Amino acid sequence: MDKLTKEEVLHVAHLARIKVEDSEIEKYQIELKQLLDDVDQIKDIVVESQELLVTPVEHETILRNDSDTREVEFNMIKKNVPATNGNFVEVPVMVNE
Amino acid sequence: MGEYKTRVGIEVHCELKTNSKMFVDSINNYGGMANVNINEIDFALPGTLPCVNEYGIMLGLKAALALNCTINKKVVFDRKNYFYPDLPKGYQITQARNPIGVNGYVEIEVEGKKKKIGIHDIHIEEDTCKSTHADTKSYLDFNRNGVPLIEIVSEPDMENEKEAMAYLEKLKEILLYTNVSDCKMEEGSMRCDVNVSVSKTETLGTRTETKNIGSISSVGRAILVESNRQIQELEQGNTIQEETRRFDEKQNRTILMRVKETGNDYRYFPEPDIPPYILEDTFIDEVKEKIEVLPDERREIYRQAGIQSINIEKLIANKEISDYLRNFSGNLVIASNLLLGEISAYLNKTGKKIGDTFLSKEKFALLVDKLDRKEINNQIFKEILIELMETDHDINKIVENKKSASFTEEELKVLVARIVSSNPQSVEDYKAGKDRAIKYLMGQIMKETKGSSDPTLVNRLLQEELARK
Repeated sequence: MDKLTKEEVLHVAHLARIKVEDSEIEKYQIELKQLLDDVDQIKDIVVESQELLVTPVEHETILRNDSDTREVEFNMIKKNVPATNGNFVEVPVMVNE
Repeated sequence: MGEYKTRVGIEVHCELKTNSKMFVDSINNYGGMANVNINEIDFALPGTLPCVNEYGIMLGLKAALALNCTINKKVVFDRKNYFYPDLPKGYQITQARNPIGVNGYVEIEVEGKKKKIGIHDIHIEEDTCKSTHADTKSYLDFNRNGVPLIEIVSEPDMENEKEAMAYLEKLKEILLYTNVSDCKMEEGSMRCDVNVSVSKTETLGTRTETKNIGSISSVGRAILVESNRQIQELEQGNTIQEETRRFDEKQNRTILMRVKETGNDYRYFPEPDIPPYILEDTFIDEVKEKIEVLPDERREIYRQAGIQSINIEKLIANKEISDYLRNFSGNLVIASNLLLGEISAYLNKTGKKIGDTFLSKEKFALLVDKLDRKEINNQIFKEILIELMETDHDINKIVENKKSASFTEEELKVLVARIVSSNPQSVEDYKAGKDRAIKYLMGQIMKETKGSSDPTLVNRLLQEELARK
């Protein structure tokens, strides 16, 4: 059966920062390939216009006035982040700077 | 064996001087407590959507115009995807396919030679949050998240560190003079990534990117050490890898960083949450109108007015003073000497800006005119400076009061004759060629006139009197 290489699966897992067990790799080699094939069908669509389609909605974006501002308390955000330290959001050390 | 040629391209990130962020309506502010200039959109909470800051677009456009770019009138954004804690959305909104400005240039001058450095493109994007690292944890401050940036990508047109530094100085000047950014490298509102390659042929060698260099002079040093490193590697038979490095100031060398995603891994695609925006010609023209006279044009005005080149550079480096001189129609040499001399000294001493003082442009023009027509001399100017700066007294009255207290030429002649005849020893010393004697006599006269007389005039009268002896 047509499938991705082991390296391709591990590369995608790295981009998503997901750990994949050795035993899972083969499953993803097949599933990801199926997914890509499905998405590849888009290529079969005959597009007449060369114009880049950003959105199917045909209105211009509405610009915001620079002076209109709105802020929320960090306390409200705290509920939605894994950990905090003082007024900082705390995460495992980011070595990939 | 030919010589190695270095080629340098620079990517500059500049924060735009807006009130609020680019796609989020929280405040754009530097410094202060962490995580206060934030709202739900900064954290990409479910249901939040970006909304484009009109002023941010205007500033991006202004920069593109000032840097001689062709404008893409259809403003569209793209998503640059990567998974990282400094970016809660999982992507940065940027302009990958259709940057606001392309094909621009900046003209630099190095050792008397002018050269155009090409600008590949300028695009608008958003900053990421600021992260601080400890041993096992990183700490995130989202105040910087979403701050408007322009990235200015040069062509690899620079051939050495001097050209690169001149390019950055010029870029900084233009962005400051257009009020696009405050370009403070020490606060990170201007950041440079430098691409360096070396080659013995016209074909570019493999380049490395040295990231986040902290000052323009460090950029110069980084280019020098990185090109030397590459030449050494090649001479030892090694190849250069396309990689990201950082510049270590203390060790004066570049150090390999871990490799991040590049190219396809970013999976760029059009940002569907922001429909296109069309820049109307009338709007582009309005922004063009808003661009102030740029530094090079000012240099030319100053040069033609006869200002010395050292003072021209001092004026350009002080935008407040340079702006003060705009539309000034009097003697620019006298005006610039006053502004750069006594007036700057006064401003530095008092910590004031010229706009905070009582020295209106009209008053200043009258002052320069009086000096130009020799109605007053430098000495009087120095004495009335504080009154000019700190009161709204009429300049004509200030000068009248001062002059009534000073000596006429006839009165001075009498005074000079009296001083000379009461100091016979000094006259003899003068005749014996001792320079100190004339200085002493000058001092005596200035003391009598309480410093209100023109030293050039006193000197002439004194010489004449001594010649008669």
